[in-house]
Amino acid sequence: MEVSTLTTIAFWAVSAMILGFATIVVTQRDVFRAAIALAGSFLGVGILYFVLSAEFVGVVQILVYVGAISVLMAFAVMFIQDIASGSRPSQGRLVGAAVAVLVFGVFAFTAYNTNWSSMDAITDPVIVAALTEGFVEVGTGNAIEIFTDLPVDENAVAVKNGGVFVDSSGSIGVLVVREYMLAFELIGLLLVAALIGGLLLMRNPSTTDELVKGDFSV
Amino acid sequence: MTIENVLLVSAALFAIGAYGVVSRRSLVTVIMSLELMFNGVVIAAVAFSRFTPSAALLSGDPLTAEAIRSALTGHAFAIFVTAVAAGEAALAFALVFAMYRVKESVEITDASEMKN
Repeated sequence: MEVSTLTTIAFWAVSAMILGFATIVVTQRDVFRAAIALAGSFLGVGILYFVLSAEFVGVVQILVYVGAISVLMAFAVMFIQDIASGSRPSQGRLVGAAVAVLVFGVFAFTAYNTNWSSMDAITDPVIVAALTEGFVEVGTGNAIEIFTDLPVDENAVAVKNGGVFVDSSGSIGVLVVREYMLAFELIGLLLVAALIGGLLLMRNPSTTDELVKGDFSV
Repeated sequence: MTIENVLLVSAALFAIGAYGVVSRRSLVTVIMSLELMFNGVVIAAVAFSRFTPSAALLSGDPLTAEAIRSALTGHAFAIFVTAVAAGEAALAFALVFAMYRVKESVEITDASEMKN
């Protein structure tokens, strides 16, 4: 089979996995099962990123969502005993279904009725080669050298610098600390603020009161 | 696999999440549904990065490393959104625990006021 056929099969299989698990999350009464299904859905999204040749985002997705957020969800479900009785649906069920159908309809209509520019519009063989095979940045400026014909030598520079969609991690790193430096710094600030806010909200009020009074023995 | 297909999956995930946010009563499942919506958005960002070329590549100007890297803007966006979602999830659960401590309940109908 052709690679594109296999990719399409993988895409639809992974999509079915994502949407199936997501449906379980929003319909299952048992919240712990919903948390497990959520982890499955996150994992499916991670695999989808690999199918879309976004390896780095896929790894981040699996580390952050499957590894951290799912554990946080499971912890929350076990911490709150109240939830063992199950998550009841609210009165807004029909409204929710209507909203979901409307949102999906608008998005799907837009997706299929917009003339998206395509990667096929790029005809310049140099750009195609840079995107798919590799490029090497020479010096500190913007000048680059394009290797369309990759040398067989394993130690050649071009082999180490794969094209953007072949080995994207390095390019994403450069992009984040160059073009998006401010956003990168702000994310750090945001996470620190979230950390302090979380600690503040989770503190045991009685212990904190004694700390404020100056008794640090607790 | 075309961009339309991927956007369709992204929209479906977002819609399922939206349904969950409106139709569930427990705050924990509402937050789970919010995470699903986040994922739907990030899938769209990665899909655009994969299937549509950036303006810098179509402009016809001399090729620069910056222009090639701009093809990965969607990936950088996805990573930022993921970081924000992680912070949001941590804070949201801290709020849920604070509410549970005060009200002994995590039902959304009991959350109309945080003051005890």
